[in-house]
Amino acid sequence: MRTMNVFTQFFVELVILFRIQIAIVRHQLLWIIAMSAIFPIVTLIFMEFLLGETNPEQLARLIIGNMIFSILLMGMNILGQDISYQKFGGYFTYYSSLPIRKMNFILSLLFYGILTSSPSFIIVFTLGQRIYGVDLHFEWLLLPISFLAIFSVVGIGVLMGFLSPNPQFTNVVAQFLLMFVTFLTPVMIELKDLPVILQWISYVLPTTYVANVLHSMLTVGWTESTLGEVLILIIFSCASYLLISKKIHWRVQ
Amino acid sequence: MLKPVYELENVTLYYKKGKFKANDDISLTIYQGEIIGILGPNGAGKTTLIKQMIGQLAPTRGSVKFRGYEVSRHVKDVIQQIAYYSQETFALSFLKTKEALYFTGRLKGLSKKEAKQQTDAILQRLGMYEYRDKILSKLSGGQRRLISFGTTLIGQASVMILDEPTNELDPLKRKLVWDIIRELNQKGTTIILVTHNILEAEKVVHRVAVVDHGKLLALDHIENLKKRVDQRMRVEIYAQEAAVQKIRDRLKAFGNVEIVEDAKLTMALEKSAVRTVIDIIQDESLNINQYSLLPPSLEDVYSMLQKQRGGE
Repeated sequence: MRTMNVFTQFFVELVILFRIQIAIVRHQLLWIIAMSAIFPIVTLIFMEFLLGETNPEQLARLIIGNMIFSILLMGMNILGQDISYQKFGGYFTYYSSLPIRKMNFILSLLFYGILTSSPSFIIVFTLGQRIYGVDLHFEWLLLPISFLAIFSVVGIGVLMGFLSPNPQFTNVVAQFLLMFVTFLTPVMIELKDLPVILQWISYVLPTTYVANVLHSMLTVGWTESTLGEVLILIIFSCASYLLISKKIHWRVQ
Repeated sequence: MLKPVYELENVTLYYKKGKFKANDDISLTIYQGEIIGILGPNGAGKTTLIKQMIGQLAPTRGSVKFRGYEVSRHVKDVIQQIAYYSQETFALSFLKTKEALYFTGRLKGLSKKEAKQQTDAILQRLGMYEYRDKILSKLSGGQRRLISFGTTLIGQASVMILDEPTNELDPLKRKLVWDIIRELNQKGTTIILVTHNILEAEKVVHRVAVVDHGKLLALDHIENLKKRVDQRMRVEIYAQEAAVQKIRDRLKAFGNVEIVEDAKLTMALEKSAVRTVIDIIQDESLNINQYSLLPPSLEDVYSMLQKQRGGE
């Protein structure tokens, strides 16, 4: 049946798996937008009342914080629960009984996470600037960096979904992790304003680097220090991919 | 000489860190071009056995070989040659029916053209062509199952493993699935059928492996298995619902009487007891509407094996 060379096979497989994920997202698009955007948008609007007079620097941090919060919500929290539900519902038996590569299957799950997280990210970016009248810096390099930022968070969601012993446990862990990450990393406030112990904890969470990279890119653009943060995000992404690859029980190992 | 497709030798699999034996020393050979039924009650270890045949589980002891190759060491090669229909939730429920088939075909290595042609042909054969643009989750459970079965057909694998393919299907769709299974087998496809629908399976399978509590209780051609119970006859009795218990009490001295529906009883009888039982059945006070005397079926074999196992 298979007459393609290995590279073509790999590519065709990946494209078809991505198309399956796009078809799934297409069906749930309204729900995804509603789920992912409502909370960050409401927060954005209410923050305006709560904070009173703010300077552009604080406003930029607020918008970026909500962009990160939206990818945390979709890419980690909801994705983790979704994957856990699929795993225990036996959805993955379909894929593992087909002659496809484990690597491609994992990449397609990460792609699904990116697809479900991106709308809220874009919505908060666009609406945040409108609501507060702030002009965030934009350059094309922002696109791959945003992609990397989302990827590093999505990795946690996929990992959480696969590691949980059952979907109920995933729900509890997801809620806890969302709170933990939101308060213990500089998502809404600057790292230097956190207590020292929390600053140390922040260094082991990818969201810290996501916050720093996006803050830097959206306020002043690419700088030399951004490169270091991007490299750390690449390491986080690779590590989460390797962990997922090890933890997914895909046929007989 | 018949060519073996699968050779299972002393397959034993433990779950829960050795506390639960799901398969216990099972040996069987499946030959090219046959339809073999793996029968057994829920939790008998049938699906666990199948999962070792498709490389999703490895036996704790023993070996599972596909065309001479150890499955656990050549999983990808094995699954390229087989098609597996799972009982589990279909992963592509949010796709259109034609997409589910087309994408599966492409993932099995078909070209765009082949995948498209086979998708159309399968949709036509399943009577689902008019639903080609419908999202699967909007269809009935039976229609979804039928499309899931369709994804097993795409790619035309030479070996098909079907785990309860007629579950959730109405009688017409069940007949369609059995007809397709027969047609595929006539073209040379080897079919491994896991089911507990004995009465329907009997019409298509050549050989049967009966599994219970993880053990292989019997492996033989249906006719040979039936010979084990050919000294028996099956009696099916249709009575008024209120009389069912009374009939059961009157007949229990002659064998195990099962109430299979509200007003239907069935029992296997030794031939020597048939005359006496019919005399009792014809007693008007029992309010029996209708009765039939039938030759032994696979179901009788199955009941006998289960009973023998229970007596061990």
